[in-house]
Amino acid sequence: MRHYELMVILDPDLEERTVQPSLEQFLGVIRQAGGTVDKLDVWGRRRLAYEIGHKVEGIYAVIDLTADPAAVKELDRQLNLNEAVLRTKVLRPDMR
Amino acid sequence: MPKPIARKPKKKVCGFCKDKTAYIDYKDTALLRKFISDRGKIRARRVTGNCAQHQRDVAIAVKNSREMALLPYTSTAR
Repeated sequence: MRHYELMVILDPDLEERTVQPSLEQFLGVIRQAGGTVDKLDVWGRRRLAYEIGHKVEGIYAVIDLTADPAAVKELDRQLNLNEAVLRTKVLRPDMR
Repeated sequence: MPKPIARKPKKKVCGFCKDKTAYIDYKDTALLRKFISDRGKIRARRVTGNCAQHQRDVAIAVKNSREMALLPYTSTAR
């Protein structure tokens, strides 16, 4: 089990209140694999420093979780398959 | 013959070493903005006064931040 930090940029056309439930749905992968979600922080709409896919805004969310590497890899894969997800980043904050 | 101007090297102390920062967060754009120019370029070590280790940490944080569109790769100023 390792501690991970995951940042997701979601499509700004989504309703902001549907963000939390849809993220929870994604995080089901982690819970099924025996991991835990420590924190789910939705930053909300934020202007992007440059356009991503002709979008000037994005909905940011930061998730702290503890899970096995395989579960995180699967979560990242599923997020990237979804068209509402503009970008993801997985980091291990305890690496340094 | 003009005398070479004796320049006293001002000893700068790395701000991160002084604060004992262990991890520079790529999400802290307010902090990272201090280390990029108005065109979005990372400031040199001789400008920032960071130690080698922390300059590298700053560079990595800025690059991570750019990937997530928190900081610009380039600014179209001028």
